[in-house]
Amino acid sequence: MAAPRSCDLWRFCGRGWWRATGHCRLPGCRRSWPWATLGTRSLSQEKRAAETHFGFETVSEGEKGSKVYQVFENVAKKYDLMNDMMSLGIHRAWKDLLIRKMHPLPGTQLLDMAGGTGDIAFRFLSYVQAQHQRRQRRQLRTQQNLSWEEIAKKYQNEEDSLGGSLATVCDINREMLKVGKQKALDQGHTAGLAWVLGDAEELPFDDNSFDVYTIAFGIRNVTHIDQALQEAHRVLKPGGRFLCLEFGQVNDPLISRLYDLYSFQVIPVIGEVIAGDWKSYQYLVESIRKFPNQVQSFKAFVAYNKVPEGEAQASHVSFLAFQEDFKDMIEDAGFQRVTYENLTTGIVAIHSGFKL
Amino acid sequence: MATLLLLRSPRLHRSLRPCTRPAVDVPLRAESHGARLLYPDHIPTTPLQKMLLAAGAAGMALYNPYRHDMVAVLGETTGCHTLKFLRDQMKKDPEGAQILQERPRISLSTLDLSKLQSLPEGSLGREYLRFLDVNKVSPDTRAPTRFVDDEELAYVIQRYREVHDMLHTLLGMPTNMLGEVVVKWFEAVQTGLPMCILGALFGPIRLRTQSLQVLFSELIPWAIQNGRRAPCVLNIYYEQRWEQPLTALREELGISPPPKHIQGLA
Repeated sequence: MAAPRSCDLWRFCGRGWWRATGHCRLPGCRRSWPWATLGTRSLSQEKRAAETHFGFETVSEGEKGSKVYQVFENVAKKYDLMNDMMSLGIHRAWKDLLIRKMHPLPGTQLLDMAGGTGDIAFRFLSYVQAQHQRRQRRQLRTQQNLSWEEIAKKYQNEEDSLGGSLATVCDINREMLKVGKQKALDQGHTAGLAWVLGDAEELPFDDNSFDVYTIAFGIRNVTHIDQALQEAHRVLKPGGRFLCLEFGQVNDPLISRLYDLYSFQVIPVIGEVIAGDWKSYQYLVESIRKFPNQVQSFKAFVAYNKVPEGEAQASHVSFLAFQEDFKDMIEDAGFQRVTYENLTTGIVAIHSGFKL
Repeated sequence: MATLLLLRSPRLHRSLRPCTRPAVDVPLRAESHGARLLYPDHIPTTPLQKMLLAAGAAGMALYNPYRHDMVAVLGETTGCHTLKFLRDQMKKDPEGAQILQERPRISLSTLDLSKLQSLPEGSLGREYLRFLDVNKVSPDTRAPTRFVDDEELAYVIQRYREVHDMLHTLLGMPTNMLGEVVVKWFEAVQTGLPMCILGALFGPIRLRTQSLQVLFSELIPWAIQNGRRAPCVLNIYYEQRWEQPLTALREELGISPPPKHIQGLA
């Protein structure tokens, strides 16, 4: 695949060099291990020796991209049905909450990354349309007349019901985009959508071109998350907002156990019965647990602070707050005023940051 | 085990999963708790998962009979006791024991199609090829075993699936719904696999009344009679009998010719 290899070149030539110095997300030792990784990493541009996680498997970074592509190619047609089954329909509420938090006004340029089947984009368009109508009604109520242009357009049925808003759906997977386009036709969304094939680590857009960047349930599938975050920072206009809806760590131990039981026992079975694909759904539930690379950061914490094993295990629930780890990553990419909000006791979290 | 690996089509297998054990109590796959991968396509499952799979597969197979993979999954998840019994049956018989030892597979890569074409009419090989052509099926469409937690039993069920086509040839049944139900009745009596029994009992739900009449009046009694009379069909080393005339093989197994030409029904 061309995309990952050019990413490798890019990393070593320019943008991502600071990543190679290695950093751990711990309160005491930020960016304090440059010697450890520079020595061990080979700068060969062939097959990278670096490994990453693919669910609970360890694969080379080059492989992860193509494996993830295959997973989503397999699940694309039944993606929405499986989402409903896996989350018992709750994912719709999560996505609605994301849009409500975004509160986009007519005229907003949205980039929905990993937006495949278009759930966020469609909700955005409906919201913006409703907002536009409200604004017009408010204008009429306060006896402000519409301009002649608007009245003329109304009679000619040419008015832009979206008020100039545009949702760009970008995804690395062609199959997902195909499903999304078909859904758009089925649901009657004809205007205000653009479909782009692109890689989150290397976006095909100019700097400072979007007002809002969202990525819903997609960032854990990206091989180099920090690069995706940097790209998000680049394409946003100053004042633009970054929003990420992603699975997080559940804090409550009882709910956590039920959630794990449901994830690992039931979801692959549902995947096998409905979609005939056990492995893709096993990857999906595992990738939730492995994101971001908490094992590494936890081990590092234990080693650095010489925490005794027993105590370390007991405190893992409070330490492994993915939400905090990811917040730090977003801040590292240059965003400010980064906050997060837990939904459904932490099963998902919405992270928000601004480019100022 | 090596033969299984050799005869599989070359694919990149992630079967060498490193057992990464973080110090944290992160829920791991069943395999990391000690159950290794016993064969290339093995997916270790907990008893709860097997129950859910069996229920889901049964439901889906009834709802959509074209989901053959669901029938296969149902067989794998419900058949553990019966498979052990079948394996012991195979061990007792000399030909069966040879099959267990050599582990032959019936697939397009292992069959010598030109040789089978050249065999005389009426021989097992020639009739099998004709069956494949007329019904437009291929031995390669069988999904590999995934949910059986014993490597030998996984082979037994794989062999059972591959023998299924041979049974169609022996019984002279086409691959439409009616023919499949008849073969299921035969297999239910022969093997006792829960999946066969369920398929035999619930399969007729999807048939037209016309076919049902023929089924209950003639075909099922015929299938049961032959199933009881014939020795265990898994014990026949089909690969060594391609030249044997079909009628002779039927006589050897005590299978009477089918009662009626049922190509038009179902």
